[in-house]
Amino acid sequence: MLYRKTILAAIAATTALSAPLATFAQELPRNVRLVIGSTSTGGDTYQNSAIVADALAEHLGINVKVDAVGATEAFKALERDGRGTTLMIFHDQSYLGELYGRQGYDDPFETYVIGPTVAINPGNAYLASCDSPYQSMEDILQAAADGDRVRVAIQPGGVSEIGFSAMKYAASVRSPGSESNIVAVNTGSQSDKNQAMWDDLADVINGSIQANEQFTQLPADDPKCMRFVWITARPATLEAAPAEGMGDTTRDDLLQYATPNVDVTLGEDGPFTFDKEFFFLFNPDMDPAIVEQIDTALTEIFAEGSIQERQTGSFFIPNFLPSDEARAHLSEKRDTYEQVISTIADDAS
Amino acid sequence: MIEAVTTLVTPTFLLLVLGGTFTGIVFGAIPGMTATMAVAVCLPLTYSLGLENGLALLLGLYVGGISGGMVPAVLLGIPGTPSSITTTFDGYPMAQRGEGEAALRIGIVASLVGGLVSLGILWAFAPTLADFAIRFSYVEKFLIILFALTVMAALSSDMLLGIFSGVLGIFVALIGVYDISDGGNGNLRLIPPGTEYWLESGFSLLPVLIGLFGLAAVLEQAEAGVPRGHSAKDLAVGRAGGFRLRMLRGEGVNLVRSSGIGTFVGILPGVGGSAASILAYSNAKTFSKTPERFGTGAPSGIVASEAGNNGLTGGALVPLLSLGIPGDSTTALLIGAFTLQGIQVGPLFIGNNPDTWNAMIFAMIVANLAMFVMMYAAIRWFALVVTVPKHVLLPVILMMCVVGAYTINYGIMFDVWTLLIFGVAGWLFTKLRLEVAPFIIGFILGPSAEVYFVKSLESFGDLTIFFTKSWIAWVLWGLIVLSVAASASLSSRRRRPATA
Repeated sequence: MLYRKTILAAIAATTALSAPLATFAQELPRNVRLVIGSTSTGGDTYQNSAIVADALAEHLGINVKVDAVGATEAFKALERDGRGTTLMIFHDQSYLGELYGRQGYDDPFETYVIGPTVAINPGNAYLASCDSPYQSMEDILQAAADGDRVRVAIQPGGVSEIGFSAMKYAASVRSPGSESNIVAVNTGSQSDKNQAMWDDLADVINGSIQANEQFTQLPADDPKCMRFVWITARPATLEAAPAEGMGDTTRDDLLQYATPNVDVTLGEDGPFTFDKEFFFLFNPDMDPAIVEQIDTALTEIFAEGSIQERQTGSFFIPNFLPSDEARAHLSEKRDTYEQVISTIADDAS
Repeated sequence: MIEAVTTLVTPTFLLLVLGGTFTGIVFGAIPGMTATMAVAVCLPLTYSLGLENGLALLLGLYVGGISGGMVPAVLLGIPGTPSSITTTFDGYPMAQRGEGEAALRIGIVASLVGGLVSLGILWAFAPTLADFAIRFSYVEKFLIILFALTVMAALSSDMLLGIFSGVLGIFVALIGVYDISDGGNGNLRLIPPGTEYWLESGFSLLPVLIGLFGLAAVLEQAEAGVPRGHSAKDLAVGRAGGFRLRMLRGEGVNLVRSSGIGTFVGILPGVGGSAASILAYSNAKTFSKTPERFGTGAPSGIVASEAGNNGLTGGALVPLLSLGIPGDSTTALLIGAFTLQGIQVGPLFIGNNPDTWNAMIFAMIVANLAMFVMMYAAIRWFALVVTVPKHVLLPVILMMCVVGAYTINYGIMFDVWTLLIFGVAGWLFTKLRLEVAPFIIGFILGPSAEVYFVKSLESFGDLTIFFTKSWIAWVLWGLIVLSVAASASLSSRRRRPATA
């Protein structure tokens, strides 16, 4: 009996002592699951998240495991866990999905806590076949103004579509009504978009510098040969890329396909640009102290500098903004794109 | 190549290939674990290993994982990986007759031949084949899937019930969102009201597969009463002798054709790894003089299935290394090893990185040979699985199935429920005389068939395109008609004695 009482007393004492500790020692747990909005482990979301996860794990002395579960399952996992055991990294798709009305996407600014940004992939691009009559955005917009139908292969409902929406917007600014001549060819993966071009089902495809650069180096008579017509990144973003660029295409070459050399205008709001930014998303019930811990850790990691080398080596542009700044920046960005999308939708209706 | 081998191939490189192959075989041999999972688990390690060493590990895992799937397929009737599903059709009946070791030997040799043939094709023709692969548009890809679907009829003891089961499999596979990343419209369909939260992404393949083949078998055994295990003496384990060429007498054409089909399916992005063994099996049955023996323990079925799925390993690397496009789910992970090192894969990869290319070919040769030696040496130990008492074996299988289902999509609990749902469904299928094999083939191929069919119509306008697109379409129609005619003839031969 005495033995039982002693055990109970010990448990009670331990509980009493640990309770106040638990209230102020809110830190990332020892094992953290970092879910991402992509199911691919070969894509930029995984690659970028793996770099950040490694750096955080090493800096904080914890385990961080990246799980490529895809957007739908990642949002569900994040919703279920307010303890800080599950964090998420995704990119602009997280709010563009909602703006385009995609199934499974809520407004992330209301549903979750937006965390720090960590990097930009400057590679979002549009390409035409080497034997296409359209060799530049000017050709494309002029063709639309002349009444020709220009087919653009995209994956609808997000990052792949936002540049297409901007193209239509620019067409409507140049020659109202001509935006209806720029039509979407809805495809899936990058492979499908490339195939759509080779099958002559699309005149222009959405792609990326990383995935498509080698096709731009092929001889012009190769049926797989492509050329860039537009890179959506801001020039300042591309300037931050390594001078050697990607593959056989230097940074200066890349800049030829970006603003201001390529003009996809939003009228009075100036040229349209799009940088694909990666950032954290947190469960709204997660302790703010954990958000602060991540902000602090990333500030120290980026101050130390080695993460930037790894990001740049993988053709990412380091872009750390602490949570508060990131939230304000992304919110402003979202508002700009909301205007583009709603204008195009209004014109179409 | 010799220069690259001498500079890049170090003892570490070789150890990683061998270790990867061994680990891959273990992953493949555990029901619910797959080659894809093995590669996914080890992918983060490759950053610190460097590109060539990292690829050595991953390619070993790939070859080992695909090959290891035959072990549970033959001995337990549970495909270790989706691509070994057709191995169960003849391997398991052979094991039940006490010929499990022979079935494994045939499968291992077929796997080696399939792997080496595809590797030879990869090495000699990779860029040329990639140029050929891009001539396959949505239309041709749909016809390939349709051709693979014709095997549903051939696999059934009752043709009508088999086709019904297959169509039911297609229907169930289409539950969920018509995924935008597949070119769909993002809308939900076929979901009962109130279940959207769980069924939004539909049912995952692996939990369905191990539910129908693994859990259903456990339930059937439980219903029948747990029998005693066979003894090693009953099954003559370890006394089957070494490999003899006569095991493969008359299988030369089947071996080469199935290896070629596996390679061919691999080079077509998006058609899917499981389609390789299904197509190889379907072809072997169509052109066999004794098609009625398929599904009852015919060595030809094992040869076709294993040569087909290992043929895929080299084929799937063709679009990956020549176009930067993965040929199946595992090579989609391999691309991660390149991107983690900041290396671009695309049409210039082979020319720009000859050393890496040669190191990969060498790693694949070593992995295939190592797979052969390791699996052949371990056959007698594998075969002992059937001697484990069922009251020990069945709970272990059940546990592995649950763990596999939970981990396949990185920890989604609904996948475990899926396993349980389809375990019970598989058990009910036998009561209702529905057929599991056509159902799972419909389930595997249904989503691709839908996407390619819809995209063909969206892109080209009307149904006539399936006949007018290209000469390739006509060849595929010819094969489809042959396969359907062979199935109809077989079905009528089966019925004749019963009606006479």
